[in-house]
Amino acid sequence: MKGGILNPDNGFEAAVKNFLKDVMEKADIDALLLPFKNAVGDSFEWRLVTADKLAEASVVPPVIAVNGARALSSITRSGKSAMKIAALMRPCEARAAIELSKLNQCDLEPVVLISMDCPGAMPLQDYIADPEKVEKEFEHAAREWNNELIRPICRMCDIFTCTESTWCDADIHVALPETENNAVAFISNTDKGREVLEKVGIGREEELGDWQKKMNARIEERKAARKKAREELKQHVTGLNSLSDTFGSCINCQVCRSVCPVCYCRQCLFNSVKVHYAPDDYLLQAESKGTMKFTPDTLLFQTGRMTHMSVSCVGCGACEDCCPMDIKVAQIFSIAADETQKLFDYIPGKRDAPPPLRVYNEQELKEYET
Amino acid sequence: MKGKIGVFICECGPNIAEKVDVDKIVDEAAALPGVAFVAKHKLLCSEDGKKFLKEQIEEHGLTRLVIAACSPKAHESTFMKVCEEAKCNSHLFQMANIREHCAWIVENKEAATEKAIRYVKAAWRRVGYHEPLAKKEIAVNPDVLVIGGGITGIEASLLLAHADRKVYLIEKSDALGGKVNEFEKIFKNMENTADMLAGKISDVEKNSAIEVFTNSSIEEVVGFLGNFTVTVNKKGERTEIRTGTIVVATGYDSFDPLKAPKYGYGKVDNIYTGREFEVLNKSGKIVGKDGKTPQSVAIINCVGREEMGYCSGVCCLSSIKFARYIKEKLPETEVVNFYREMTLPDKGYQKFFEDTQEKGVNFIRVKSVTVDNSDKGPMITWQNDNGDEHRNVDMVILSAAMTAVNDAETIADMLKISRDETGFFLEEHQKLAPVSTATEGVFIAGCAQGPKNIKESLVQAGAVAGRILSLLIPGKKLEPEVRTSYISEAYCIGCRMCLEVCNYGAICFDALKHVSVVNEIICRGCGNCVGSCPSGAVQTKQFKDIQIHQEVVEVLR
Amino acid sequence: MKKNVLVIGAGIAGMETSLMLAKAGRKVYLVEKSPIIGGNIIKCEDVFPNLECATCMVSPIQQEVLKNENIDLLMLSRVTAVRGEAGDFTVTVEKKARYVDLVDCIGCGECFEPCPVVLKNEFEQGLMDRKAIYLPCAGSLPNVPAIDTDNCLRFKGEDCQACKEACVFEAINFDEEDETREVKVSAIVVATGFTIFPVAEGGKYGYGSYADTYTSWEFERLFASNGPTGGEIRKKNGEPPKSVAVIHCVGREEKGYCSTICCMSSLKFVHYLKKKIENISVTEFYKDMCSPGKRYDKFYREIESTGVDFKRFDTIEVTSDNGSAAVKYRQNGKEATVSADMVILSLGLEPQRDSKELAEVLGVPCDTNGFFKEENDEYAVVDSTKKGIFVVGCAQAPKDVQTSIAQAQSAAGKILSLL
Repeated sequence: MKGGILNPDNGFEAAVKNFLKDVMEKADIDALLLPFKNAVGDSFEWRLVTADKLAEASVVPPVIAVNGARALSSITRSGKSAMKIAALMRPCEARAAIELSKLNQCDLEPVVLISMDCPGAMPLQDYIADPEKVEKEFEHAAREWNNELIRPICRMCDIFTCTESTWCDADIHVALPETENNAVAFISNTDKGREVLEKVGIGREEELGDWQKKMNARIEERKAARKKAREELKQHVTGLNSLSDTFGSCINCQVCRSVCPVCYCRQCLFNSVKVHYAPDDYLLQAESKGTMKFTPDTLLFQTGRMTHMSVSCVGCGACEDCCPMDIKVAQIFSIAADETQKLFDYIPGKRDAPPPLRVYNEQELKEYET
Repeated sequence: MKGKIGVFICECGPNIAEKVDVDKIVDEAAALPGVAFVAKHKLLCSEDGKKFLKEQIEEHGLTRLVIAACSPKAHESTFMKVCEEAKCNSHLFQMANIREHCAWIVENKEAATEKAIRYVKAAWRRVGYHEPLAKKEIAVNPDVLVIGGGITGIEASLLLAHADRKVYLIEKSDALGGKVNEFEKIFKNMENTADMLAGKISDVEKNSAIEVFTNSSIEEVVGFLGNFTVTVNKKGERTEIRTGTIVVATGYDSFDPLKAPKYGYGKVDNIYTGREFEVLNKSGKIVGKDGKTPQSVAIINCVGREEMGYCSGVCCLSSIKFARYIKEKLPETEVVNFYREMTLPDKGYQKFFEDTQEKGVNFIRVKSVTVDNSDKGPMITWQNDNGDEHRNVDMVILSAAMTAVNDAETIADMLKISRDETGFFLEEHQKLAPVSTATEGVFIAGCAQGPKNIKESLVQAGAVAGRILSLLIPGKKLEPEVRTSYISEAYCIGCRMCLEVCNYGAICFDALKHVSVVNEIICRGCGNCVGSCPSGAVQTKQFKDIQIHQEVVEVLR
Repeated sequence: MKKNVLVIGAGIAGMETSLMLAKAGRKVYLVEKSPIIGGNIIKCEDVFPNLECATCMVSPIQQEVLKNENIDLLMLSRVTAVRGEAGDFTVTVEKKARYVDLVDCIGCGECFEPCPVVLKNEFEQGLMDRKAIYLPCAGSLPNVPAIDTDNCLRFKGEDCQACKEACVFEAINFDEEDETREVKVSAIVVATGFTIFPVAEGGKYGYGSYADTYTSWEFERLFASNGPTGGEIRKKNGEPPKSVAVIHCVGREEKGYCSTICCMSSLKFVHYLKKKIENISVTEFYKDMCSPGKRYDKFYREIESTGVDFKRFDTIEVTSDNGSAAVKYRQNGKEATVSADMVILSLGLEPQRDSKELAEVLGVPCDTNGFFKEENDEYAVVDSTKKGIFVVGCAQAPKDVQTSIAQAQSAAGKILSLL
């Protein structure tokens, strides 16, 4: 893997901010989209800023409050932009942004999308309760690569970086080769990314062998963790009874859907009149089954939503962060997504791959034909 | 329940009456809310039955109809016509199939009756949610634009012009005639083509209804059946032509033997493609690069067949024709034809082959064949059941496969038609619709549709004329399908999934509102878009989610 | 000058021409000699190369023909005289009585059982019986039987009313009379289709001598779900075959031409066999594999990949050998024998037996093979030598469905343009 290395004086965060400043000045960018700690200090928010505000930005925030893809999409989804934006976010967020661009909910043309090596994120609710404590834990987790402290969904994530095996289609990826000098490397994945690095004056030809080796080892660890998680979770969702139990505490608030970056519908089918039935229909159903739970159709919503977005699920964990009932939504959906994505040989976040629903293959899923 | 619903149960003679308790169905139907009238009849589709239906609708002022009878495939249109005559909107009507789905397949009478009752109730429930769809009519332009001035385009133009249609014939080269210009004779009668072709071209030029554009290409196509606008570019000068239908008669290109190096093309002297040989033959002197008359000529078939994956159907015959050319002009020259399968379909070509054999042409079946250089000129090596053999010849002719034209992809994109895996334009149905495409108003004919000989191309030109003359009649308006899809602007978020899966190009994107929009005239109501929309913003009229849902709920109650 | 058109033959080509002309507003007289429409294609269960259901494919066309107000369908009819010229023909059509009312009959089939006359069903290639009041096959369209007056007892002088008594709808009327109609038309389209090469019994192909030798049509009916065995492929002893030999080009030498579609049909038979019988072994004996066009090579490869033994032959002979068939063939001087317990003969196509008769009535010549002769067999293939009379489909030469449809549409196009 090759990239351009910057040897900074003041740590990687400063290096990245300097880079972003250069990007604004030299690469013709009008604004930056970055995470900032909010005024109260108990969460983070995305702000569109110019370089003078860089000092207060947080390059790798400890939590994902609003998913970066959602923030970016809310700017660029309606129409063409003359303004150029550079946005820095975690690889899962960047993948979600690319998925949204395929669904015409986010225009990436005026955007330089930048991802960075992600050490994981902390549970959002924990952070809000005690920001200082969780911040310290995050620093520790990031520095030591301590997986026990980060969210369960992050513990099984193997797309946190951009090596040759686990690529990320953002225009530029920021890697931390972790040499003695805390150097920062910039890898370009697209022509746009290459152009930006050239304009900023960062080369692209240095070998990042050590970094790649270290990252690959970590990827293997996470893959193993993912496999183990799958075994564990499978028991909780195999068969209608288990599924029903696992989602038994779901209150159908549909927050998981509203925070999900790839759930883009204006009105969710499972929230529309199409699933509102006549009272007598419910009464009859309750009568025939002996009893019935209300509000109805929770499982329908969960499995239905899964059917609709599973091939695009990037495992960002926004759903689980926000679930008021602490259901392992992200973990379950992410493992299910592995299966559905495998069926169609589809990897969300890959720029040139069209969503499976749009692709016609004469021979497909033959094993499921009767 | 809306309106006054009428329920009619047809006994279909003994078909339904014997297998199902019709009276019980009548009773159950009469008890349903909103049902103003129930009746059974021996045979509703008969003249008597239809009369009865009309009378009852009018007498009782029925506004919605349920007919429990046979399959909608059989008589839905019959009953819809009765509705129209009785001034009841024909879409406020639903059939329940109690014959094919109940009487004919359920043995036990009680079970069959129970099922039939469910079906009738389901139809009753559904019809309450039906909407009175109005008929649509659109004015159309009966003119035709033909792309390609080869034999197919010429023939189609002549037939259409003769039927008083205005025809725009667009040809990219500077003259009409296409590939047939290249041939001295055609198989199997070995007749000279020049007179035939010149005659047809002269007919085109004399015909005032045909406007010919040579040195022209198509730049843009917008619109739909009956209402296309085509931009034609003639040496920089642009013309916008309004037309009702478009015919793609762009012909073919030939497989480039450089892609199959085993045949030695480009490396070994005196190897010609079939078309290059036609030029040589037409010049009057069949000689090699060195100007010498060949004493032996090898003709190799199936060049490009494996690479392209199909048999062009005409090369075996072309090869035989080349053999004949040589035998006519150079009777002393030896001719050997290497072939894999001697493909001689149709009634006259076997005799053509046998007669050519008698003229002394040697036909050798091979499994594979290669051509290399040697100091004695081209050397042919071939494999068959006897093992490997080789010999020298003075000249080699490669009968190469027909391929789609090089700019087929551009044309397909512009016209919103598809190509199949062979690269030729895709016909609407493999067997039943060879000259139309899935895009209404755009037709394909001749080699643009697939490799074929002149005779078949002329036939397809006639077929296109038939399709167009029976489709767009001057003064007559088109009645497009009314049960089309539509997109709710409020729910659509513009992800364009529906647009991508629409086979007919019926959906476009409104960038201003950031929503997708269905063109009701092109839409065929197939419902692919409905399946692709996660939020349910797309619905198909008469097949809305709620209509289907109500039907299913009632059946399963 | 009338603009009506007469179409002879209600097979796939005849129906297509009729529908296109009707759509354009012409009145069409569609004359069909049998009591049903659909022609030969409805004998097949599936069609190549997409292997879709033949009846499903054709049924919407048949339904449309039956319903279309511009088409006057005359079944059990023949053209017996033609006078006049292009633009103004007067045609005499002899319409035999059906004796069953097309409107009143609902096709319940109650009339068959009581009929005492048992005959061989021609549509089913003699593999099944029919009665004197009959429908050629299950699912016929129109679904209304006809009485075969050559064999019906009543029409031979006896007092039998069995069918009439069984009919609840009073649809049977023995007093119906044959009709002679004279119609004026501006053009005539001949779409009489084809029949198969009459392979001789006891000849070199083993037909008639080895019990389980079937013609291609007989085999189509064996596989057909509405056929004599309900789609089960069985030998005469009731058991499924273990090995089948499909022989191409039967009749090719004798006729002197290639029938174009038999190679593809033969490959389709492999699909039929493998669909019904597990582990069946199939050997295809062929001379040249005729697979022209953009789809057929692919079909050939697909069938080949299912596991078929292909053997080329110059000469071939089938004899009976100890309960199975011995297929002896010569190729390139070498001889070999393959054993099989079922043999299918892919027969060549030839013009209908009454083509010559019809040609004389129309005043058009036939070519040396007996097909209706074209004005120019390379440039004007759907035009006969007589202006105003067109020939389409296999009446002109053997061809596949796609080309027949193209020709049918082409004749309609020419009529709409020129006549």
